Amino acid sequence: MWIRNIKWQFNSWAILTFVFVLLILLPNLSVFAQLFTEPNENWYHIKEYLLKSYVINSLTLVFFTALFTILIGVSLAWFVSAFEFPLKNFFKWGMVLPLSIPPYIGAYTYHGILNYTGVIQSELRNSFDISVEQKYFDIMTMPGAIFIFTMFLFPYVYIITKSFLEKQAASLVENARLLGSNSFEIFYRVIIPISRTAIIGGVSLVILEVLNDYGVVKYFGIQTFSTAIFQAWFGMGDHGSAVRLAGILMSIVIVILVLEKLFRGRRKYSFSTSKVRPIQKLKLTGIKGFGMSAYFFIVFSFAFLIPLAQLALWAFMTYDIIFTEEFYQLVWNSVFVALIAAILIVVAALIIGNYTRLSNGRIAKAASKVTILGYSMPGAVIAIGVITIFIGLDRKLFPVYEAIGLQPTLILSLSISMLIFAYVIRFLAIGYNSIESGFDKVGQSFTEASRTLGMSVTQSFFKVDLKMIKGAVAGGFILVFVDILKELPLTLILQPFNFYTLATKAFQYASDEMIQEASIPSLFIIMISGLSIFLFHKILEKEPS
Amino acid sequence: MKKSFLKKGIMVMTTAFMLAACSGNETQNANETSKPAEKPETGEVNLYTGRHYDTDDQLYKAFTEETGIKVNVIKGEEDELIERLSREGDATEGDLFFAADAGRLHWAKEKDLLQSVESETLDQNIPENLRDKDNQWYAMTKRARVIVYAKDRVNPEQLSTYEDLTDEKWKGKVLIRSSENVYNQSLLASFMELNGEEAAKEWAEGIVANMARDPKGGDTDQLKAVVAGEGDLAVMNTYYVGRLANSTNPEEVKLAEQVGVFFPNQDTNGTHVNISGIGVTKHAKNKENAVKFMEFLSSEEAQKLFAEGNNEYPANPDVESSELLKSWGEFKAQDIHLNILGERNADAVKLFNEVGWK
Repeated sequence: MWIRNIKWQFNSWAILTFVFVLLILLPNLSVFAQLFTEPNENWYHIKEYLLKSYVINSLTLVFFTALFTILIGVSLAWFVSAFEFPLKNFFKWGMVLPLSIPPYIGAYTYHGILNYTGVIQSELRNSFDISVEQKYFDIMTMPGAIFIFTMFLFPYVYIITKSFLEKQAASLVENARLLGSNSFEIFYRVIIPISRTAIIGGVSLVILEVLNDYGVVKYFGIQTFSTAIFQAWFGMGDHGSAVRLAGILMSIVIVILVLEKLFRGRRKYSFSTSKVRPIQKLKLTGIKGFGMSAYFFIVFSFAFLIPLAQLALWAFMTYDIIFTEEFYQLVWNSVFVALIAAILIVVAALIIGNYTRLSNGRIAKAASKVTILGYSMPGAVIAIGVITIFIGLDRKLFPVYEAIGLQPTLILSLSISMLIFAYVIRFLAIGYNSIESGFDKVGQSFTEASRTLGMSVTQSFFKVDLKMIKGAVAGGFILVFVDILKELPLTLILQPFNFYTLATKAFQYASDEMIQEASIPSLFIIMISGLSIFLFHKILEKEPS
Repeated sequence: MKKSFLKKGIMVMTTAFMLAACSGNETQNANETSKPAEKPETGEVNLYTGRHYDTDDQLYKAFTEETGIKVNVIKGEEDELIERLSREGDATEGDLFFAADAGRLHWAKEKDLLQSVESETLDQNIPENLRDKDNQWYAMTKRARVIVYAKDRVNPEQLSTYEDLTDEKWKGKVLIRSSENVYNQSLLASFMELNGEEAAKEWAEGIVANMARDPKGGDTDQLKAVVAGEGDLAVMNTYYVGRLANSTNPEEVKLAEQVGVFFPNQDTNGTHVNISGIGVTKHAKNKENAVKFMEFLSSEEAQKLFAEGNNEYPANPDVESSELLKSWGEFKAQDIHLNILGERNADAVKLFNEVGWK
């Protein structure tokens, strides 16, 4: 009886896991079903005239953004974990803050600073009568886009590398120091090789963000896969070609993910967690210390301070137009959907994570891989898949609506549940990764002990496991919350009637070429995300490794 | 007992989901339940719009004040809204589709998403050339795509036609945005109709050869580049000039003073005009309200708001343009039916790609 009960329980974890997996797969499949139709005339047109530049542009963006985020992210992480210098404690978490600025907001803010009527050129013109060559102030270029992505995405590399270095690198670094290596050699010959798993983990997040970005590339007029998907789908009205493009994009993403796994699989530098201790920090004083602080300050300025200051300036110009009662509704809407979706994601991630951890089968492993699917799909593709499913569902439910006295109309697909469902699909991977790493850290021994003492899987989960990984849960929750707050394409396509968020409002103003007006919703996104990220940092600090 | 944890978990989740589902519907449910006795056609009207201007929100409010009919809005990109409408099919709750481009309206019509409307008021307020021939959509505003030039470098007497912009003398001087932009697509579509595909292709090739820089940014960015000296001429919509003239940023106001507006092709086939227009969806549930809303938008009161608020040309000939627009004078517009812009859109997009207009 007891054994059977255990089995039933374990099965229900399994069932729930597969329900989630199915929910993720459904909308994607409904789109991909079209992949096997004959290519049409549009496709040949795309292939002949456009495909080459899509591939070149997307790969250029990805390559250079990856390169620069590694350079900046890893160097900052290394300096923070190995040296003492003025203001270090502030920069340590300050360097996470650029994540609170969505790249599309960064993009139009920088364009606003640098263009002809921007603050720099106006000042030069009006006060010093200097006219500058426009091309040196033009950020709407490929290098400009790489700059924007690097500045607002490097924290992914920084966070992951930093937490690895802080916990894992002490003995190697100290030995290298004893053997007489200087800091540069240590960085080059020790830090980069040992932290490559962490770096790759961070960079693959950066790459996925870049490939999926729609706001920046559209604004800058750079044609990439994601703009191409929008153009084929909505511009040419050609669903089939759009899906084909998405299919190519997916293949690229899958290659990247497989590579990441390969690198991770061969890691030989893992340490037993019992020996964890921080690196002994070298104190930098005088000019060296100052130089180090200056480096941090420069990065911090470009990635956070300068755009923030510009937004604040614009906010000052427009606050009397923007601050209305409706604005508070926007804030509430944004926070509300992000909260609900983040809760759902954490719950789903916990269930899938716990199930895959306890059952070692291949199917369970596969289930955990499916979670990444939503994160690697372009937002527009998910959106259309979700719409199709929800409208179908509504039609099936018409008799039910009538039975409970409602009009048989689109209820689900005009409610925010559709939007929230799409968020869950899109961001489950983020929550899942965080929770999976939490489970990895505690291992199975405590669960096994609890089971030996007679608790069921479910009881152990609530009484033992959950308590041990609560830091990871909170961390995952916050990351997801911030991501949803910044999300754009899904929210634009799936919004219900009269439902606007800070992100959609900011984008509408910006795409309507009213950049000053976009500043206040943007500032609110940054403020709320910034606060959440600060909390996240505090949680990481407290977390016993 | 042992199962209860898990059950609780599931319950929490379902409740969260239901909560989410309900709260999204709050506004609609409230409307449905509070007026159960009345016909469903009195309370509200649902609008899918591709226009995001704040002045439009004032118009919705004015309409609600006048009629008591609440306006529910989804703002999005036209193409995505069309996709959404067609997926919703006969179950759609959208009553009206409002788009800032004639091509998109035509496309919605082609996809069988709109229906014909009979209204004397509309027929009276909106001239025949500004509405669909089956009355499936009506223009509410007009915008002209003109040449904006740097006053200090260009003598307007040098300017004549769109075709002239491909002349050798403008090499490296012409600014225009990306071909992804629908205003450019409609512009090229109109040339394909008026001058034939060969000539249109030559024109596009000529512009690419004369571009001052790779196309980037919006219409406003082209104007800024003119003033900054990157080029001398920009092809752009009139209301962007108006918007800069009324900007919250004093630097932008200065910009508008340094450029002139030129209406091309006055001695030949006229300046390209696009519209924003609105139609009732095929499966509208509140058709009566939808028509009332359209009639309201075509009225003098609303047309004035369009004109003053966003510097567009009113579609209703009885209403005067804003002072700024009047200062640029009258002009002769292209004489083609606006449906053409939609019919030729896909070909225009391909032509742009073929000549390498980014």
